[in-house]
Amino acid sequence: MKIRIFIAAISLIAVPVFTLAAAESNRTPVQLQKRIDSIFVIASSGELKYRDKVDPAIESLAKLGAKAAPPLIDKFTTKSARERLTIIKILKKIGSPALPDLIDALSRPEWLVVKRVCWTLGDISDVAAVSSLIGVVGHDNWQVREYSIRALGKIGDLQAVAAVINSFKDPVGQVRKAAVVSAGQLNSAETISYLIQILGDAYYGARLSAVEALLTKDTTLLLAQLKETLKSASGLKAKLAMKVLGQIGNDEAMDILSEQLNSGNRQKVVDAAIAIVSADPKNICGYHESIFEKVKGRLDLLKIKSVRASAGDGTHSAN
Amino acid sequence: MSMKSVYYMCLILLLALGASAQNKKKMSPEQQGLLLLTNYLGLELEDISFRQDYHDPDGFRLSKVAALMSRPLDMIGYVDELRGVHIKGQPEILASILFDDLAVTGQSSRSRAYRPQGTEAGDAYTLYFLNQALNQFLARMAVYIDQVFPRSTEMMLAPLSKKEKRFLTTKFKDIITSDLEEEFYTVEQHDSLEKAEEKYADQFVEFAGKIDKDPIIRAGIDCLKMILLETKRLRKQLREGEDAAEDFMRVTGFLPDNTDLSAFLGRQPGWAIGGPDNDYYNGDYYFILDIGGDDIYDLEYDPNNPHGVIIIDFSGNDSYRSRSDFTLGSGCLSVGILVDFEGDDRYDAKSFSLGSGYFGFGILYDAGGDDRYDGDTHVQGAGSFGLGLLIDEGGRDIYNGALFAQGFGFIEGCGIIVDTKGSDSYYAGGKYKDILRYDDHYLSLSQGFGYGLRPIMSGGIGGIIDLEGNDSYYSDIFGQGSSYWWSLGFISDKSGNDNYHSFQYAQGAAAHMSLGILADDSGNDVYFAKGVSQGCGHDYSAGILLDRAGNDTYTAYDLSQAAGSANGVGILIDNSGDDRYFIHNQKNSQGYGNPRRDFGSIGLFIDNGGADQYLGNGRDDFFWQTKSKWGGGMDIELFPADENKK
Repeated sequence: MKIRIFIAAISLIAVPVFTLAAAESNRTPVQLQKRIDSIFVIASSGELKYRDKVDPAIESLAKLGAKAAPPLIDKFTTKSARERLTIIKILKKIGSPALPDLIDALSRPEWLVVKRVCWTLGDISDVAAVSSLIGVVGHDNWQVREYSIRALGKIGDLQAVAAVINSFKDPVGQVRKAAVVSAGQLNSAETISYLIQILGDAYYGARLSAVEALLTKDTTLLLAQLKETLKSASGLKAKLAMKVLGQIGNDEAMDILSEQLNSGNRQKVVDAAIAIVSADPKNICGYHESIFEKVKGRLDLLKIKSVRASAGDGTHSAN
Repeated sequence: MSMKSVYYMCLILLLALGASAQNKKKMSPEQQGLLLLTNYLGLELEDISFRQDYHDPDGFRLSKVAALMSRPLDMIGYVDELRGVHIKGQPEILASILFDDLAVTGQSSRSRAYRPQGTEAGDAYTLYFLNQALNQFLARMAVYIDQVFPRSTEMMLAPLSKKEKRFLTTKFKDIITSDLEEEFYTVEQHDSLEKAEEKYADQFVEFAGKIDKDPIIRAGIDCLKMILLETKRLRKQLREGEDAAEDFMRVTGFLPDNTDLSAFLGRQPGWAIGGPDNDYYNGDYYFILDIGGDDIYDLEYDPNNPHGVIIIDFSGNDSYRSRSDFTLGSGCLSVGILVDFEGDDRYDAKSFSLGSGYFGFGILYDAGGDDRYDGDTHVQGAGSFGLGLLIDEGGRDIYNGALFAQGFGFIEGCGIIVDTKGSDSYYAGGKYKDILRYDDHYLSLSQGFGYGLRPIMSGGIGGIIDLEGNDSYYSDIFGQGSSYWWSLGFISDKSGNDNYHSFQYAQGAAAHMSLGILADDSGNDVYFAKGVSQGCGHDYSAGILLDRAGNDTYTAYDLSQAAGSANGVGILIDNSGDDRYFIHNQKNSQGYGNPRRDFGSIGLFIDNGGADQYLGNGRDDFFWQTKSKWGGGMDIELFPADENKK
């Protein structure tokens, strides 16, 4: 809760925050710091009644350009989530001119600062940061690893492929998730087999993100590998592989799925049926009769009928 | 393969199948529903789990909360168990269990209360009353008040400097309390306030690890147990014979004129023994025993002179009033016990009252009658570095608080209301505006609410356990089984047609690495909230709304009814009954998860039975997956009617 303190001492004189002019360049570092601090109070204000002043204050700070970067990076030690987001927003607006200071900050000892710098570098998305980011993907702190891999994916430079693939075996689920997302963003076929493998991952963020990542890949290569995978896969890996196939939904994908209807494994049959029905709710391919012959469980049938109904009326996503 | 091998393999298989069938049989409907839906969505129950190290763990994290963050679904079992713990007339049992739950992560042993040595436990006073049982009781209470409580407080605060001790009743208190003027502050003032608050918290963290709350809480629980045991005997005596009260109060025949009464047991400074008439008590007391009459208590407490306070009232319609904070079952750097056995009582308190444990143990135990409880902040079952309990075992009661009230757990604290009977009314809010978000809503942070100081100090456990009656719960921002930052808030309501009304962050909701659950077992209940409610977890948090039976009505606007936000988990489970679900914004509700940190959250909506109606994503007899990352729902008949019996 707020604290009752003696506030009269605080300067209540309104700071003319929105009129930064050329005079800024004449300020000393101390003056600049004070200036940034005073505007930042408003830029990061969360109160409802000051909300309309926030964006102009952010713009004012961004207009200061590269010289605002060091004091803003110093503020990354903040405990306030709102302040942290504001800093990232401003640095993103400053863009590439802030890069040298941000790259320097990757070697700071505070993991929280390094993590937030990685986050910002990803948002700025300048290829010039790639090699520096690769330098921290093995950081001791898993959140630094997560955000450096994330940034590499956002930048999208193929130099990062090896680092991203290497992170698929990170012990922390969130890092594997970041690797999966980045793999989806990198235009590299090399990542497909790793993405398929991780469909059975213990961390839901990794395996469900892999479904989406796989859908960004070359379909021909993907189908061949999925078909091979389904010969031996079971459980979640098989379920999600079939989900990918259902979302691809072309003839070849449907053929692979229809083979699973004859797998003799109840769960696989149901998952294949759901994928087929979601891809073809109107039974154009003619698999539905076979599905309803093979699936007998009350709730399994309800799942399939539900998918058919929701895919048909478009109210829900295809499963 | 030999026949023997085949035999053993068959045996193992049969045993495995048997065990599996047994497990399935043991599984509750909610567990079965969760298994079915997670399987449908490509999830597993183990996915509902959070790490301990999103931030550097602090030294204040309760091991119970940490364990539940690893397995949030265990919240269901935890609140069920806690509800079964309370035994009428024995609130010390629940208190002891909750004391166990106040262990912090990595704590290998718990400290005991101070134990009086030799003569300390002896007869320090001259007898004044003639009743032997009364004298024995008073002597025991004197040992607690003179020795056990002060020494236990010393044990709690021994490593602290004078300045640090002073901090606890000044700046730390300011972190919790609020000011109506804040609504009118300028942006610079607000920023300054926030910075000052952070500074206070940082200062506190420097020495808070040295505080050992255990001795004083244990001392309070031990004393409570003794009070309930001994007063049973005294009350029995009072019920026997017409002149029982007169006999009970009979005093020694002759006292010389210049006698110092403070040397007599029961006549010490700050002590009062009241008879069967209507009595009036006014001031800062250590001990009051009143055996009857409609009494008035005007009480005060000076936190700079902490001491134990025990008030026991056997009967009558009494009026308890606060003249300062830290009164009426308030343990402030000590123990506060208020026990009222009978009558329709009125409790009119300020802050840190009505079952408030603030660096101590506070309990208000009211065994019967239609009672009314009014208070401001940190009231009605509230704990900070302590345990605060409000236990009401009968009658139709009214609870009214402003902030951090009605089952509130702050850092290393636990606050619980237990109300066993009657149709009760709970109201929290209406005083301190939520200036950050709204100009027309008020903070509640109450009604089963856990709260920590993000990101430096984990919070505690706050809960309401209500066993009977058609209850009405009203909160505004944060309430009704919700929490913020490494803490747990819960409501467990066993029966009755209940009405839950809140605006935001409520009814099984949690924000920022935290846990909230509202579990209602039966009755035709009504749930209304605007948003971030009814099974909603935001930012690595889990919020669960579980309703086991009854024809219920759920209404919300958005991000509710099984909504996971920012990698959180939101779960709504309704096991049976013909229910109605209404949602204004179906894009982010009824089985919804939104993406943050480049991946999704989890929203699980489960209706296991009944003929239900929907406005939103759901349908009766249906499985669905919403266009979100990642969520869905199902409305099924988990236990269909046997076709053969039709």
